[in-house]
Amino acid sequence: MQNTDTIVLDELPTATKPPTGARRRRASRSDAPRNRRNGAPAALQVVAYVVLTLGALAALTPFIWMVATSFKEPQDVFTRTPSLLPLDSQTGAWAGTLDNFREVLGLGGFTTAMINSVIVVFVLVPGKLLLDALAAYAFARIEFPGRDILFMVILATMMVPGVALLIPKVFITQELGMGDSLSGIIVPNLIAAFDIFLLRQFFLTIPKELEEAAMLDGASRMRIFWSVALPLAKPALAVVTITSFIYHWNDLLWPLVILSDQDKYTLPLALQALVSGRVAQPHLVMAGAVVAVMPVIAIFLIFQRKILDGIAMTGLKG
Amino acid sequence: MTTTAQTPASGTSQGARREGDTLTAYLFVAPAMLHTLIFMLVPAGAALYFSFTEWDMISPARWVGLANYQEVLFNGDVYPDFWKSVQVTALYVVLSVPASLLTGFVTAYLIDTVRRGESFYRLAFYLPVVTAEAAVGAVWLWLYDPQFGLVNQALGVIGLEGKDWLGTPSTVVPALALIAAWQSGTCMLIFLAGLKGIPSVYYEASEVDGAGAAQRLWRITLPLLRPTTFFLTVTGLISALQVFGLVYVLFSGSPGPEGSGLTYVLHLYLAGFRNGSMGAASAMSFLLFVAILLITAVQFRLMPRDFED
Repeated sequence: MQNTDTIVLDELPTATKPPTGARRRRASRSDAPRNRRNGAPAALQVVAYVVLTLGALAALTPFIWMVATSFKEPQDVFTRTPSLLPLDSQTGAWAGTLDNFREVLGLGGFTTAMINSVIVVFVLVPGKLLLDALAAYAFARIEFPGRDILFMVILATMMVPGVALLIPKVFITQELGMGDSLSGIIVPNLIAAFDIFLLRQFFLTIPKELEEAAMLDGASRMRIFWSVALPLAKPALAVVTITSFIYHWNDLLWPLVILSDQDKYTLPLALQALVSGRVAQPHLVMAGAVVAVMPVIAIFLIFQRKILDGIAMTGLKG
Repeated sequence: MTTTAQTPASGTSQGARREGDTLTAYLFVAPAMLHTLIFMLVPAGAALYFSFTEWDMISPARWVGLANYQEVLFNGDVYPDFWKSVQVTALYVVLSVPASLLTGFVTAYLIDTVRRGESFYRLAFYLPVVTAEAAVGAVWLWLYDPQFGLVNQALGVIGLEGKDWLGTPSTVVPALALIAAWQSGTCMLIFLAGLKGIPSVYYEASEVDGAGAAQRLWRITLPLLRPTTFFLTVTGLISALQVFGLVYVLFSGSPGPEGSGLTYVLHLYLAGFRNGSMGAASAMSFLLFVAILLITAVQFRLMPRDFED
C-alpha cells in the first residue's frame, strides 16, 4: 500500500503534463547517464536499434496488413505475393477502394452496433467516473464509522477473478430486467473497484489545506468535492476515463453473455459475427476490424504518454 | 452522530471534520457499496450455491449436492472434454506466459539501452494491447490463412513451408502463444519501469570492478527485477488461465480442430450458455477460482523471503 501511495503521488501528475519540447529535451538528457549506467557500448547500441526496429515492424505489421486489406479490391486480396499496400495484383498500380467500408457499414447491424457501442461508452464512462470518484473521495477524505471495513470490502472484490462471478452476475442482471439490453451492459459495470482504489490514492495526495479554505467559506462537502477535489484530480480522472473507454469499447465477453438480439450488439460482437459469417471475405472483415479499432487507436495515439505512464505506474493490466 | 462523538485522536488528525460529514460520506459511498453488494457480494455467494444445483437460469434451481463436481471431474460421459480443456489451458499457460514475459523483457531491456526513440518503441509494442480481442482474432485469422496469409507467405520468402496453423491441432496453441507474445506490451511497460527503478550506483560499482554488459545483466539487472518478474508471472498466469475472447473469435465459438482450441473458459461458456447447464458451469467457475487461488498461493510460497517488502 505504502508503495502505491508514493507512486501515484509522484507520477500521476507528471503523466498529464503535455509532452512539450522542453520536457522531451529534459527526458532525453536524463537518458544519457542511464545508458552509461547500463554500460551499453556503441556496438550494443546498434544491435539494440536494429532488433527494436525489426520488432516494432513485426508489432505493427498486423495493423498495416489489416488496413491494406481493408482498402483492397476482392481480386487483389487473394494473391500469391503479399502486398502491404492496396495494389492491383496484375499491374501493380494503386488500386485502393472504399467499397469494403461502404459494404460493411451497409451490412445489417454494423452501423447499429457502432451506435450501440457509442451509447454504451458515452453513458457508462462518465457515470462510472462520477460514482467511483464520489466513493473514492469519501474513502480518502471523510472520516466515518465503518469506513475502513467498507474500503476493505471494495479491495477484496479486486482479488476475485472475473470469470468466477460471471454466471450469477448474468442471472442478477436478467432478474433486474436488464437482460438483452444496453442497460445490462452499462449498469453492472458502473463501479470498478480498481478505479475507486486508484482515485482514492490520488485524493489522498491533494493537500487538505485547499479544502479547508473552502470549508471556512462555508462550502458544503458536495461543493468541495465538485469544485475543489475533482478539478485537482483531473490527472487521475483522465487515466480512469481513457482506460475505461478502451476497456469497454473492446469488451467482448460481457456483451456476449448479456445480449442475444442482434439489434443490441456492440461493435466487438458485430465484428465477431462478421468474422464467423464471412471468413472467406477478409477484405470485408478487415474493413470491419478497422472500423472497430480506429477510435481506440486514435485515442491511444492522442493520449499515449498519459496512458503508458499511467499503466506503468499503477501496474494496471491493459 | 456528530463529530464530538469521535475519539479525540481522530478528531485532531482530521482538522477538516464537520457536522453532517458522516451522512454525506454514506451518501457518497452508497452507490458503490450497493453496486458491490448486488454485483459482487451476492454473486459471490450465489456462485457457490448454484454450483450445487441443476439449473438452466430459466426454471428454478434444484439442489443436487456434489453431483455437478462429480460429473465435471470424473464422469467422462457427461463432460468428455473437461480434461481436454484443462490440458489445452495448461499448455497455453506454459507457452504463452513465458513467451510474453521474455518478449516483454527483451523489448524493455533494449528500449532502456537505446538513447532515442523510447516513446516510439513503447507505442509500437503497446498498440497490440489496446486492440479489441475481436479485431485481434479477425486479423490473426487472416494472417494465419494457410494460402494467402502473411505468415505463410513470409515463411515462403525464406524458403520454409507454411502450415495451416489454426487448422492443425498440434499448432493451434503455439499459434495462440505467438499472439500472446505479440501482445506483451504490458510486460514491456512494467519491466521498463522496473529497469528505470534500478539505482545507477549498482552499475557504477560493477563498472569499477570491471564487469561486462552480460555480467551486469546477469548479476544485477535480472536479480533486481525479480519482484517485477514475480508480479508479471502471477498476473500473467491469472489472465492466461481465463483466456476466452481470442479463441472464441478465432474458432467462431467452436472448440477448434479436434478441440485443440478448447480453453477452460470456452468450455465453461459452451456448457453454460450454449447447453444451458448453468449448475455445472458454476461448478467449473468455482473450480477455476480455487485453482487460481491455489496457484497464486503456491507462487507466493515459492517467492523468496528477501523481496517481501
